[in-house]
Amino acid sequence: MAKSYLLEILAVVAILGFCAVFLYTSSIMTGAEFAGSDNVGSNLIAELTGKDVESFTPLIPQWEPPSGEIESCLFALQSAIGGICVGGVFGYWLGQKKSMSETKANQ
Amino acid sequence: MHIMEGFLPWQWCVVWWLVALPCLMLGVWQLKKVINADREALPLLGVTGGFIFILSSLKLPSVTGSCSHPTGTGLSTICFGPWVTSVVCAIVLLFQSLFLAHGGLSVLGANIVSMGIVGPLVGYIVYRLLKDTSVNVYVTVFLAVALADLFTYVVTSLELALAYPAAVGGFGTSFVLFMGIFAVTQVPLAIVEGVVLALVFKYIVALKPDILIRMKVFSEAQINRARGEA
Repeated sequence: MAKSYLLEILAVVAILGFCAVFLYTSSIMTGAEFAGSDNVGSNLIAELTGKDVESFTPLIPQWEPPSGEIESCLFALQSAIGGICVGGVFGYWLGQKKSMSETKANQ
Repeated sequence: MHIMEGFLPWQWCVVWWLVALPCLMLGVWQLKKVINADREALPLLGVTGGFIFILSSLKLPSVTGSCSHPTGTGLSTICFGPWVTSVVCAIVLLFQSLFLAHGGLSVLGANIVSMGIVGPLVGYIVYRLLKDTSVNVYVTVFLAVALADLFTYVVTSLELALAYPAAVGGFGTSFVLFMGIFAVTQVPLAIVEGVVLALVFKYIVALKPDILIRMKVFSEAQINRARGEA
Protein backbone atom coordinates (compact mmCIF):
# COMPACT_ATOMS: atom_id res chain seq x y z
CA MET A 1 0.00 0.00 0.00
CA ALA A 2 2.61 2.54 1.10
CA LYS A 3 4.89 1.44 -1.73
CA SER A 4 2.27 1.89 -4.44
CA TYR A 5 1.77 5.52 -3.36
CA LEU A 6 5.47 6.23 -2.91
CA LEU A 7 5.59 8.88 -5.67
CA GLU A 8 2.48 10.66 -4.36
CA ILE A 9 3.98 10.74 -0.87
CA LEU A 10 7.30 12.03 -2.22
CA ALA A 11 5.53 14.77 -4.20
CA VAL A 12 3.60 15.94 -1.12
CA VAL A 13 6.78 15.86 0.99
CA ALA A 14 8.68 17.84 -1.68
CA ILE A 15 5.96 20.51 -1.92
CA LEU A 16 5.60 20.80 1.87
CA GLY A 17 9.39 20.95 2.20
CA PHE A 18 9.45 23.71 -0.40
CA CYS A 19 6.86 25.69 1.57
CA ALA A 20 8.81 25.15 4.81
CA VAL A 21 12.02 26.42 3.18
CA PHE A 22 10.12 29.47 1.93
CA LEU A 23 8.69 30.24 5.38
CA TYR A 24 12.15 29.85 6.89
CA THR A 25 13.96 32.06 4.34
CA SER A 26 11.27 34.73 4.42
CA SER A 27 11.49 34.88 8.22
CA ILE A 28 15.28 35.13 8.46
CA MET A 29 15.84 37.28 5.35
CA THR A 30 13.82 40.30 6.44
CA GLY A 31 15.13 42.40 3.57
CA ALA A 32 14.19 39.87 0.89
CA GLU A 33 11.80 41.30 -1.69
CA PHE A 34 11.15 38.07 -3.57
CA ALA A 35 11.43 39.95 -6.83
CA GLY A 36 11.97 38.03 -10.05
CA SER A 37 15.45 36.64 -10.63
CA ASP A 38 15.35 38.49 -13.97
CA ASN A 39 15.07 41.81 -12.12
CA VAL A 40 17.95 40.86 -9.82
CA GLY A 41 19.92 39.83 -12.92
CA SER A 42 19.17 43.17 -14.58
CA ASN A 43 20.53 45.01 -11.54
CA LEU A 44 23.74 42.98 -11.86
CA ILE A 45 23.97 43.89 -15.56
CA ALA A 46 23.59 47.56 -14.62
CA GLU A 47 26.34 47.14 -12.04
CA LEU A 48 28.69 45.37 -14.48
CA THR A 49 28.22 47.95 -17.23
CA GLY A 50 28.08 50.94 -14.91
CA LYS A 51 24.82 52.10 -16.54
CA ASP A 52 21.43 52.77 -14.99
CA VAL A 53 18.83 50.01 -15.16
CA GLU A 54 16.49 52.59 -16.74
CA SER A 55 18.93 53.15 -19.59
CA PHE A 56 18.20 49.66 -20.92
CA THR A 57 15.21 50.18 -23.16
CA PRO A 58 13.52 47.53 -25.29
CA LEU A 59 15.18 47.03 -28.67
CA ILE A 60 11.82 46.10 -30.13
CA PRO A 61 8.89 48.14 -28.76
CA GLN A 62 6.95 46.08 -26.29
CA TRP A 63 3.45 46.16 -24.83
CA GLU A 64 3.48 45.98 -21.07
CA PRO A 65 0.54 44.96 -18.92
CA PRO A 66 -0.68 48.27 -17.42
CA SER A 67 -0.95 46.83 -13.92
CA GLY A 68 -0.01 43.88 -11.76
CA GLU A 69 -3.65 42.73 -11.82
CA ILE A 70 -3.71 42.52 -15.60
CA GLU A 71 -0.35 40.78 -15.63
CA SER A 72 -1.48 38.14 -13.13
CA CYS A 73 -4.68 37.69 -15.14
CA LEU A 74 -2.66 36.89 -18.25
CA PHE A 75 -0.35 34.55 -16.34
CA ALA A 76 -3.40 32.76 -14.95
CA LEU A 77 -4.76 32.52 -18.50
CA GLN A 78 -1.51 30.89 -19.61
CA SER A 79 -1.68 28.21 -16.93
CA ALA A 80 -5.40 27.72 -17.60
CA ILE A 81 -4.62 26.91 -21.24
CA GLY A 82 -2.10 24.34 -20.04
CA GLY A 83 -4.54 22.97 -17.47
CA ILE A 84 -7.26 22.49 -20.09
CA CYS A 85 -4.84 20.56 -22.34
CA VAL A 86 -3.68 18.28 -19.53
CA GLY A 87 -7.12 17.67 -18.04
CA GLY A 88 -8.75 17.13 -21.43
CA VAL A 89 -6.22 14.54 -22.52
CA PHE A 90 -6.23 12.64 -19.22
CA GLY A 91 -10.03 12.48 -19.46
CA TYR A 92 -9.83 11.31 -23.08
CA TRP A 93 -7.36 8.56 -22.16
CA LEU A 94 -9.45 7.50 -19.18
CA GLY A 95 -12.55 7.23 -21.41
CA GLN A 96 -10.57 5.32 -24.03
CA LYS A 97 -9.34 2.87 -21.42
CA LYS A 98 -12.83 2.39 -20.00
CA SER A 99 -14.50 1.79 -23.37
CA MET A 100 -11.74 -0.63 -24.31
CA SER A 101 -12.26 -2.74 -21.20
CA GLU A 102 -16.04 -2.63 -21.81
CA THR A 103 -15.65 -3.93 -25.37
CA LYS A 104 -13.44 -6.68 -24.06
CA ALA A 105 -16.04 -7.59 -21.42
CA ASN A 106 -18.81 -7.72 -24.05
CA GLN A 107 -16.93 -10.05 -26.36
CA MET B 1 13.46 33.69 -15.31
CA HIS B 2 14.01 34.83 -18.89
CA ILE B 3 16.36 37.54 -20.04
CA MET B 4 14.46 40.84 -20.16
CA GLU B 5 13.87 42.79 -23.34
CA GLY B 6 16.61 45.36 -23.95
CA PHE B 7 19.11 43.70 -21.64
CA LEU B 8 21.02 41.89 -24.36
CA PRO B 9 23.08 43.79 -26.97
CA TRP B 10 21.64 43.39 -30.48
CA GLN B 11 24.70 41.46 -31.71
CA TRP B 12 24.03 38.71 -29.18
CA CYS B 13 20.31 38.74 -29.97
CA VAL B 14 21.21 37.98 -33.59
CA VAL B 15 23.65 35.22 -32.60
CA TRP B 16 21.07 33.40 -30.43
CA TRP B 17 18.34 33.81 -33.03
CA LEU B 18 20.67 32.19 -35.58
CA VAL B 19 21.27 29.29 -33.18
CA ALA B 20 17.56 28.92 -32.39
CA LEU B 21 16.09 29.06 -35.91
CA PRO B 22 17.58 25.84 -37.39
CA CYS B 23 16.58 23.95 -34.23
CA LEU B 24 13.01 25.26 -34.52
CA MET B 25 12.81 24.24 -38.18
CA LEU B 26 14.11 20.77 -37.32
CA GLY B 27 11.51 20.66 -34.53
CA VAL B 28 8.60 21.58 -36.82
CA TRP B 29 9.71 18.93 -39.33
CA GLN B 30 10.02 16.26 -36.62
CA LEU B 31 6.67 17.24 -35.13
CA LYS B 32 4.92 16.77 -38.49
CA LYS B 33 6.60 13.40 -38.91
CA VAL B 34 5.64 12.16 -35.45
CA ILE B 35 2.00 13.23 -35.76
CA ASN B 36 1.61 11.83 -39.28
CA ALA B 37 3.08 8.51 -38.13
CA ASP B 38 0.76 8.19 -35.14
CA ARG B 39 -2.27 10.40 -34.43
CA GLU B 40 -2.29 9.16 -30.85
CA ALA B 41 0.94 11.10 -30.29
CA LEU B 42 -1.07 14.34 -30.39
CA PRO B 43 -2.75 13.92 -26.97
CA LEU B 44 0.65 13.05 -25.46
CA LEU B 45 2.00 16.28 -26.94
CA GLY B 46 -0.99 18.07 -25.37
CA VAL B 47 -0.15 16.75 -21.91
CA THR B 48 3.61 17.33 -22.06
CA GLY B 49 3.18 20.75 -23.71
CA GLY B 50 0.41 21.63 -21.25
CA PHE B 51 2.82 21.27 -18.39
CA ILE B 52 5.23 23.71 -20.04
CA PHE B 53 2.34 26.22 -20.15
CA ILE B 54 1.36 25.60 -16.52
CA LEU B 55 4.76 25.40 -14.86
CA SER B 56 6.38 28.30 -16.71
CA SER B 57 3.62 30.61 -15.46
CA LEU B 58 4.20 29.80 -11.79
CA LYS B 59 6.70 32.20 -10.27
CA LEU B 60 7.85 30.61 -7.04
CA PRO B 61 9.88 32.08 -4.20
CA SER B 62 13.25 30.52 -3.50
CA VAL B 63 16.09 30.37 -0.99
CA THR B 64 17.90 33.38 -2.46
CA GLY B 65 15.04 35.71 -1.59
CA SER B 66 14.00 36.09 -5.19
CA CYS B 67 11.48 34.34 -7.43
CA SER B 68 11.81 32.18 -10.50
CA HIS B 69 9.64 29.73 -12.38
CA PRO B 70 10.13 26.09 -13.35
CA THR B 71 10.24 25.25 -17.05
CA GLY B 72 8.24 22.03 -17.32
CA THR B 73 10.17 20.97 -20.41
CA GLY B 74 11.40 17.61 -19.06
CA LEU B 75 8.44 15.38 -19.97
CA SER B 76 8.25 16.78 -23.47
CA THR B 77 11.95 16.22 -24.13
CA ILE B 78 11.73 12.62 -22.87
CA CYS B 79 8.75 11.81 -25.08
CA PHE B 80 9.50 13.90 -28.18
CA GLY B 81 13.14 15.00 -27.96
CA PRO B 82 14.57 18.50 -27.56
CA TRP B 83 13.75 19.82 -31.05
CA VAL B 84 9.98 19.34 -30.79
CA THR B 85 10.19 20.74 -27.25
CA SER B 86 11.86 23.87 -28.60
CA VAL B 87 8.80 24.52 -30.80
CA VAL B 88 6.39 24.29 -27.84
CA CYS B 89 8.69 26.50 -25.77
CA ALA B 90 8.85 29.05 -28.58
CA ILE B 91 5.04 29.33 -28.47
CA VAL B 92 5.01 29.84 -24.68
CA LEU B 93 7.87 32.35 -24.84
CA LEU B 94 6.17 34.25 -27.68
CA PHE B 95 2.97 34.47 -25.60
CA GLN B 96 4.97 35.76 -22.64
CA SER B 97 6.90 38.35 -24.64
CA LEU B 98 3.81 39.66 -26.46
CA PHE B 99 1.36 39.83 -23.56
CA LEU B 100 3.34 39.78 -20.34
CA ALA B 101 6.49 41.83 -21.07
CA HIS B 102 8.25 38.74 -19.73
CA GLY B 103 11.22 38.24 -22.01
CA GLY B 104 10.87 40.02 -25.35
CA LEU B 105 11.02 39.68 -29.11
CA SER B 106 14.69 40.62 -29.53
CA VAL B 107 15.82 38.31 -26.69
CA LEU B 108 13.37 35.57 -27.73
CA GLY B 109 16.13 33.74 -29.60
CA ALA B 110 18.35 33.67 -26.50
CA ASN B 111 15.46 32.53 -24.33
CA ILE B 112 14.51 29.79 -26.79
CA VAL B 113 18.12 28.57 -26.74
CA SER B 114 18.18 28.35 -22.93
CA MET B 115 14.68 27.10 -22.12
CA GLY B 116 13.76 25.36 -25.36
CA ILE B 117 16.99 23.90 -26.67
CA VAL B 118 19.97 23.46 -24.34
CA GLY B 119 17.98 22.73 -21.15
CA PRO B 120 15.84 20.06 -22.85
CA LEU B 121 18.93 18.75 -24.69
CA VAL B 122 20.69 18.16 -21.36
CA GLY B 123 17.55 16.44 -20.01
CA TYR B 124 17.36 14.31 -23.16
CA ILE B 125 21.00 13.24 -22.89
CA VAL B 126 20.47 12.25 -19.24
CA TYR B 127 17.38 10.26 -20.26
CA ARG B 128 19.21 8.51 -23.12
CA LEU B 129 22.14 7.62 -20.87
CA LEU B 130 19.89 6.10 -18.19
CA LYS B 131 17.19 4.67 -20.47
CA ASP B 132 18.68 1.24 -21.12
CA THR B 133 20.23 0.78 -17.70
CA SER B 134 18.63 -0.84 -14.68
CA VAL B 135 17.86 2.60 -13.19
CA ASN B 136 14.20 2.92 -12.18
CA VAL B 137 12.07 4.64 -14.85
CA TYR B 138 10.82 7.29 -12.41
CA VAL B 139 14.35 8.08 -11.21
CA THR B 140 15.32 8.60 -14.85
CA VAL B 141 12.35 10.95 -15.38
CA PHE B 142 13.15 12.85 -12.16
CA LEU B 143 16.80 13.41 -13.14
CA ALA B 144 16.00 14.37 -16.74
CA VAL B 145 13.31 16.86 -15.66
CA ALA B 146 15.33 18.43 -12.83
CA LEU B 147 18.48 18.82 -14.94
CA ALA B 148 16.57 20.21 -17.94
CA ASP B 149 15.17 22.86 -15.58
CA LEU B 150 18.48 23.66 -13.90
CA PHE B 151 20.51 23.83 -17.11
CA THR B 152 18.04 26.26 -18.63
CA TYR B 153 19.27 28.79 -16.09
CA VAL B 154 22.91 27.76 -16.35
CA VAL B 155 22.58 28.69 -20.03
CA THR B 156 20.80 31.97 -19.19
CA SER B 157 23.77 32.80 -16.93
CA LEU B 158 26.17 31.82 -19.71
CA GLU B 159 24.38 34.02 -22.27
CA LEU B 160 24.47 37.02 -19.94
CA ALA B 161 28.08 36.42 -18.89
CA LEU B 162 29.16 36.27 -22.56
CA ALA B 163 27.43 39.57 -23.24
CA TYR B 164 28.59 41.24 -20.02
CA PRO B 165 32.07 40.06 -18.97
CA ALA B 166 33.18 41.73 -15.72
CA ALA B 167 35.81 44.45 -15.91
CA VAL B 168 37.91 42.46 -13.46
CA GLY B 169 38.00 38.70 -14.04
CA GLY B 170 36.06 38.87 -17.34
CA PHE B 171 33.67 36.13 -18.40
CA GLY B 172 34.42 33.75 -15.50
CA THR B 173 33.59 36.26 -12.79
CA SER B 174 30.39 37.32 -14.53
CA PHE B 175 29.35 33.71 -15.04
CA VAL B 176 29.74 32.95 -11.32
CA LEU B 177 27.76 36.09 -10.41
CA PHE B 178 24.90 35.30 -12.81
CA MET B 179 24.88 31.64 -11.73
CA GLY B 180 24.47 32.87 -8.15
CA ILE B 181 21.30 34.71 -9.17
CA PHE B 182 19.70 32.40 -11.73
CA ALA B 183 20.94 28.86 -11.09
CA VAL B 184 21.07 28.85 -7.28
CA THR B 185 17.51 30.22 -7.12
CA GLN B 186 16.49 27.39 -9.41
CA VAL B 187 17.87 24.42 -7.44
CA PRO B 188 14.90 23.88 -5.07
CA LEU B 189 12.44 24.55 -7.92
CA ALA B 190 14.17 21.97 -10.11
CA ILE B 191 13.92 19.32 -7.41
CA VAL B 192 10.20 19.90 -6.79
CA GLU B 193 9.54 19.99 -10.54
CA GLY B 194 11.38 16.67 -10.95
CA VAL B 195 9.28 14.94 -8.31
CA VAL B 196 5.98 16.37 -9.56
CA LEU B 197 6.59 15.50 -13.21
CA ALA B 198 7.75 11.99 -12.23
CA LEU B 199 4.33 11.66 -10.58
CA VAL B 200 2.62 12.92 -13.74
CA PHE B 201 4.62 10.38 -15.73
CA LYS B 202 3.27 7.66 -13.43
CA TYR B 203 -0.29 8.65 -14.44
CA ILE B 204 0.62 8.63 -18.13
CA VAL B 205 2.08 5.14 -17.64
CA ALA B 206 -1.10 4.04 -15.85
CA LEU B 207 -3.53 5.49 -18.43
CA LYS B 208 -1.77 5.17 -21.78
CA PRO B 209 1.21 2.80 -21.58
CA ASP B 210 0.82 1.70 -25.23
CA ILE B 211 1.70 5.12 -26.67
CA LEU B 212 4.91 5.24 -24.62
CA ILE B 213 5.86 1.76 -25.85
CA ARG B 214 4.95 2.54 -29.51
CA MET B 215 7.01 5.74 -29.45
CA LYS B 216 9.84 3.75 -27.82
CA VAL B 217 10.05 6.19 -24.90
CA PHE B 218 10.73 3.18 -22.73
CA SER B 219 10.73 -0.54 -23.56
CA GLU B 220 7.68 -2.70 -22.91
CA ALA B 221 9.47 -4.54 -20.11
CA GLN B 222 10.38 -1.26 -18.41
CA ILE B 223 6.84 0.11 -18.68
CA ASN B 224 5.36 -3.12 -17.32
CA ARG B 225 7.78 -3.05 -14.44
CA ALA B 226 6.94 0.62 -13.80
CA ARG B 227 3.20 -0.22 -13.74
CA GLY B 228 3.77 -2.95 -11.23
CA GLU B 229 5.89 -0.79 -8.99
CA ALA B 230 3.95 2.36 -8.56
